[in-house]
Amino acid sequence: MEHASSFAPANNWFLLGLILGLPLYGAFFNGVFGKRFGRGAVRFVGVGTIFVSFLASIYTFMELHKLHHHAEAAAKQAHGASPAELVIPTTKLSWLAWHWMDMAKFGTTDRLPIEVKFSVDQLSGVMLLVVTGVGFLIHLYASSYMAKDPSYHRFFAYLNLFIFSMLTLVLADNLPVLFVGWEGVGACSYLLIGFWFDKTENAAAGRKAFIANRIGDVGMIAGMLIVGYYVGALDWDGINQNSERLLNAERITIIQRAAGPITISMATAACLCFFIGCTGKSAQIPLYVWLPDAMAGPTPVSALIHAATMVTSGVYLICRLNHVFAMSPFAMAVVAVTGAATALFAATIGLVQNDLKKVLAYSTVSQLGFMFLGVGVGAFGMGFFHVFTHAFFKACLFLGAGSVIHAMHARIHDDVKSQDMRFMGGLKKYMPWTFYSMAAATLAISGFPLTAGFFSKDGILFKAFTNRVLHPVAATAQTVLNRPECKDLTLTHCKQASIDYAQHWHAPEWFGPLLFVVGIIAATCTAFYMFRLLFKTFWGEFRGWSVDPAAAIAPDPFKNLEPLEEGVTEYAAGHEAHDGHEHAHTDPHDLIDGDRHDDHHDHHDEDLTVPAAPPHEAPWQMAVPVAILGAFAIFAGWLYAEPFHFEPMGHWLHGVFQTVVGHEVIQVANAAKLEWPLMGPGVLAFAVGAGLAYVWYVRDEERVPKQLVASWPRLHRAAYNKWYVDEIYEATVIGGADALADGAALMDVWIVDGILAKLSALIVSGLGALLRSFQTGVVHVYSGVLAVGTLGLFVFFVRPHPEATVMKEGDTYTLEAAAGTGYEYKWEVEGGEADKDFVTGDQATKRTVQVPLDATRKITLEVKNAFGRTAKQTFTLTNPKPAPVPSMSVQGMPGRPPPRPPAGH
Amino acid sequence: MQPAVAQAQQSMPVIGPFLAKMWPVLAAGAAGALVPRRDSRSERFWFAVAAALAVLFLTLLWPDAKVAAEEATATGEYPHLLSWLIAIPVFGALAVLFVPRQATRAVQVITMLVMAAEIVATCLLFKVTPKEGFWLEETVEWIPAWGIKYHVALDGISYWLIVLTSILTPVAVFVSFGSIKTRLKDFCFAFLLLQGAMVGSLVALDLFLFYVMWEAMLIPMYVLIGVWGGVDRIKASIKFFIYTMAGSMLMLAAILWIVFKYRALSGTMSFDLVDLQRLGLPLVTQKWLFAGFAIAFLIKVPMFPVHTWLPDAHTQAPTGGSIILAAVMLKLGCYGYIRFGMGLFPHAAHEAGATLAGVAVVGGIIYGALCALKQNDIKRLVAYSSVSHLGYVMLGIFAGNPASMEGAILQMVNHGISTGALFLLVGVIYDRRHTRDVAEYGGIAKAMPWFAAVWVIVTFSSIGLPGTNGFIGEWLVISGAFMSKGTLGQWGRSQAIGAAIGVILGAAYMLTVTQKVFFGPLDNPKNKRLPDLTRREAIALAPLIVLVFAIGLFPRVFTERMHGSVAAFLQDHTMRYSATPPEKPVLAPPPAPAAPAAKAGE
Repeated sequence: MEHASSFAPANNWFLLGLILGLPLYGAFFNGVFGKRFGRGAVRFVGVGTIFVSFLASIYTFMELHKLHHHAEAAAKQAHGASPAELVIPTTKLSWLAWHWMDMAKFGTTDRLPIEVKFSVDQLSGVMLLVVTGVGFLIHLYASSYMAKDPSYHRFFAYLNLFIFSMLTLVLADNLPVLFVGWEGVGACSYLLIGFWFDKTENAAAGRKAFIANRIGDVGMIAGMLIVGYYVGALDWDGINQNSERLLNAERITIIQRAAGPITISMATAACLCFFIGCTGKSAQIPLYVWLPDAMAGPTPVSALIHAATMVTSGVYLICRLNHVFAMSPFAMAVVAVTGAATALFAATIGLVQNDLKKVLAYSTVSQLGFMFLGVGVGAFGMGFFHVFTHAFFKACLFLGAGSVIHAMHARIHDDVKSQDMRFMGGLKKYMPWTFYSMAAATLAISGFPLTAGFFSKDGILFKAFTNRVLHPVAATAQTVLNRPECKDLTLTHCKQASIDYAQHWHAPEWFGPLLFVVGIIAATCTAFYMFRLLFKTFWGEFRGWSVDPAAAIAPDPFKNLEPLEEGVTEYAAGHEAHDGHEHAHTDPHDLIDGDRHDDHHDHHDEDLTVPAAPPHEAPWQMAVPVAILGAFAIFAGWLYAEPFHFEPMGHWLHGVFQTVVGHEVIQVANAAKLEWPLMGPGVLAFAVGAGLAYVWYVRDEERVPKQLVASWPRLHRAAYNKWYVDEIYEATVIGGADALADGAALMDVWIVDGILAKLSALIVSGLGALLRSFQTGVVHVYSGVLAVGTLGLFVFFVRPHPEATVMKEGDTYTLEAAAGTGYEYKWEVEGGEADKDFVTGDQATKRTVQVPLDATRKITLEVKNAFGRTAKQTFTLTNPKPAPVPSMSVQGMPGRPPPRPPAGH
Repeated sequence: MQPAVAQAQQSMPVIGPFLAKMWPVLAAGAAGALVPRRDSRSERFWFAVAAALAVLFLTLLWPDAKVAAEEATATGEYPHLLSWLIAIPVFGALAVLFVPRQATRAVQVITMLVMAAEIVATCLLFKVTPKEGFWLEETVEWIPAWGIKYHVALDGISYWLIVLTSILTPVAVFVSFGSIKTRLKDFCFAFLLLQGAMVGSLVALDLFLFYVMWEAMLIPMYVLIGVWGGVDRIKASIKFFIYTMAGSMLMLAAILWIVFKYRALSGTMSFDLVDLQRLGLPLVTQKWLFAGFAIAFLIKVPMFPVHTWLPDAHTQAPTGGSIILAAVMLKLGCYGYIRFGMGLFPHAAHEAGATLAGVAVVGGIIYGALCALKQNDIKRLVAYSSVSHLGYVMLGIFAGNPASMEGAILQMVNHGISTGALFLLVGVIYDRRHTRDVAEYGGIAKAMPWFAAVWVIVTFSSIGLPGTNGFIGEWLVISGAFMSKGTLGQWGRSQAIGAAIGVILGAAYMLTVTQKVFFGPLDNPKNKRLPDLTRREAIALAPLIVLVFAIGLFPRVFTERMHGSVAAFLQDHTMRYSATPPEKPVLAPPPAPAAPAAKAGE
């Protein structure tokens, strides 16, 4: 690490500030001044900032590489150990921007400082290049794709802001700063999905994405709290150094049962919380539902955010926290199972979609499932490599799809229909560049041998089959058990090790093969739907002629598509629409107010009445990025070609995962031998999927699919409608929350406000009414009341009132009788002196009695008043053990037992 | 010739450091001048001034700049500053009375000048170096026979709330000038009086003075709602008044009880918080007195179930009134709870804290958010969101952990900024359309793009997006509650997670209303030609937007000032509640030997 760069020290690599700052500046400039300065300036600033950022990233990466190389050489020289056991120090370029805040720290009054600090290491270095590189290509593409949009500046402001947020996420050196990026990309995604906000569906899709992400973010917050509480640090170095504290902490009881409670460690809890966050951001079951809807955004957005970068940040997070995740085999198993299930589930939906972007969206969900399957089985490097390759081929596919939609839109002028594959076909002829690029990406994603997707996907599946994740304690025990002396388990430390090993949960043996099988099925589906997409779009005859551009601008496009869902009477729809909406041949622009509409599609000035305007190839700003990405989709796999033992990427990332891989994550004994055989099913999956797609969609011209749909219409409809998951959520979660909110709102008006405001007002006004009734203003009534009152006073004075105040001082109680007109008193102490007769005078009103502790005495007071009437009252004095009462007034009514001086208070 | 050269030579070294120090201010001013799209020179000018002032304010806060400022004025201490802070608006209010009613322009100018003077006085606060105990303490005998003193002081807990008051009141008044056309003089008078009373109750340490200020605040607000409010203004103002008054009466009774108990024990009368804190009360007594205080404060906060005055008051109040009500007046409930509720009754407050925290989470954060989800009136929705946000503040206070307490105080400021801005923005469209019904709008982002942009930024701040101020407050509170196992008991972590779940609901209701109002087709013909933000509105919003990001990115500038006071307060609080409560009322000896010896009459 002594290596000093000529540019800046490794711990103050302020170039990161530039990398981050430029996109932020771009966002600010485009957002505030973009409209004023015009499209040229927006394009220059929007694309230029990302390009410079990209160049700075390359320089940073090279510097990092140099540093890494240096450190590796030093380590080799120092240890001379074999490469497998060599521990290479992680190299890192970091930049501390400022001290952000001080959050609470458990157990002490001192704080946990949170710094705005950025760093780049091997893992984030790769992400940095992907984000800025692919980001730049997509910006370039978008500068042409969105060229005619009235909100061009707004689009680039959002897009630049997204790059800034994503870079914050990637470069963050601690969890809270990562969270800034994490929520920042969510917010940008919200803004970009709802970019064409004049359509309610788009705005609603944005909101759905944000809220689904927010649900995940609560998991993130909880995870950060757990880590902060137990580990006492939130920066990467701190977490990595002290992560074992999560294991040593208390455990959470999940289920109480007779045979001891089922508990999970804090590591498991934290990992599951983080994983909830990942399911939101990376669109996994159960929170994936937002991603297909997110296709409402402009296509470059789908490519950049909802395919290449943002959605992969969950995988990045797990890779980043691999130390923590490796401590919990259970959480890892959950990640793997969720990933495999999502991969398969989304793939089945993708099989039957007709919307070009929807197919790609489900494909993304499915591919993200593969990534989680990879990291879930401990193949962090391979899972991350799939992030890398996926960024290329999926961005290429989306951008290619964007070009196709762009071309289709020139024909059809309808948002929905221009994305419908049933109106495409034969585009190979019209858009060769797009076709070749997309074909390359399709080969890659389907796993055609030696393409990028093949290496990453098959690597994941191979690791799923062979990897085992053990609890750290169990892993240590395993190494002990593997020693030769431990063939004999009677040895103490071996016995202990075997107990340790048995005590900790790990996935059963059939777990890996099962994941492998699920993955292969999902991969087959992938190959099928991707080639289906390719064939339906580019092969055969162009079907777009059958759609009347005039009819296509019908106000309710969904209505026209209704019969298409049956999948049988496909081509009829266009004609139907044509018949039904002949009269609707008006300029769509009149429907929208004035000149400020944001429709991205009013920019084609072709004459709509000419039916034969063919789809056109994309301009170079669009075609070149697609081609570059397509090239990467083919060749990028060679960076991590594990079967050929050519793996610079694996080597590069090794330092990040080295403490985990080989310890908690182990491979079954004969893994190396399985490598080539296990590739067979993967290649077969490609062959079967692609072949079936060819036979069904090219050779047989969709005869079989139509038959299948006809034989199982309900199954088809269920798959087409995404297995009704949205509807189920609508009915349960959203409906439940809605009902709860309804209840709360009603309760607030009728119960809370009802009782506190309305009822109390009612009581007050009732009392007022009652009292008002006395204020009659009639003199007779007043004098009558006066007479009754006087009478009452008279009665009161005629009756004697034997009342006394009891005062206590120590054990001595003094009773002082109340005075009255002509009162004479007669005291009688129980078991003591008693007055013979009534007496008057100062002394007569008082009587002092000794009451020992814990004893009770009774005193009777008899009073005779001026009218000669007498009344009697008995006081019972109890001297309780603690004597806190300084003075006490006792009032008694004659004939009733007097209240005792209360004990205690 | 020569003097001119000398002057130039002299001024050159001045300009250099001035530029070095003030470049962000100048840059902000330049940016502000470039922003408006309309070619109106005055608009540009005022926008530039607003932006430059906002940045100037920030640079003054900056730790380095603070040192420089201290160098500039060697003295740095202003013994009567707090009295000035109270007096400026009050005397300004009196001055407004002498201006002819017809001279609306003069009334406006005088009001703004008075408030500008208040801001200048507040800026002097930045020069006060934080120290232990109270700052700028000032004591004058007021009614000696009753032991009533004019005792004002400041510490890190009230510091930012005063700054908030003096920033937001002018914003509220300034934006109201656009819509208030009747009885302008009365309006300004009420507002200035309100400002004086708010600052007064934030600095009062004498319970009598506090009570006077607390009630004095009520009257102008009652008038503001009742005179310039919406259709149901009379009902809402009465509800507001009676609700608050009911709590105040309980507090008054409790104040009198303590004061007389103090007299019984010491022989002298005093309303001074510092004196009364020496009283040790039995737990049961504490509970009753605490209840009296707490109900008064929690009504003001407002906390479930005594919050129902708030939606009505907010809905009916004029825009300026809503801003001040949300931004400052509610905070006085929280502040009072800390200063007096916790300060006077440590045991009772500690014991009730865990339970009340549960109420704050379930009844405040979650219930308030659920209610907000179902509102069709935008202002009502924002009012319920206040209930939810104040739940975070109260949770932070109840958690009683230094970080969470700082988070709570910061969240008070945040809520003042973001909800103040939201009410301002609702006022903007209300002025144009005279309806607050969500269904009347839709797609207006197209007609009013700048307005929509500001709304979205404020929405992000309100839902606590990291990078904005809302996140810092929520995060400090939630993490503080999670870490404070001791104070909140076994439920602390569940409460923290519950508060985190409130974040989802916050996003749900704010984004739903945003979508319904701003997005979708612009199909209501009445909305097609809505004018975008006016110069006045933009200038009023500019400082709030700057603060949203300033607090979000540099919260330490703000928390640093609270640091010592909050830590000392909580340490003292913890020490006091850890001791066993006495069996009967006792009076601790005065802390400092210099204090006048009060005879303990046992």
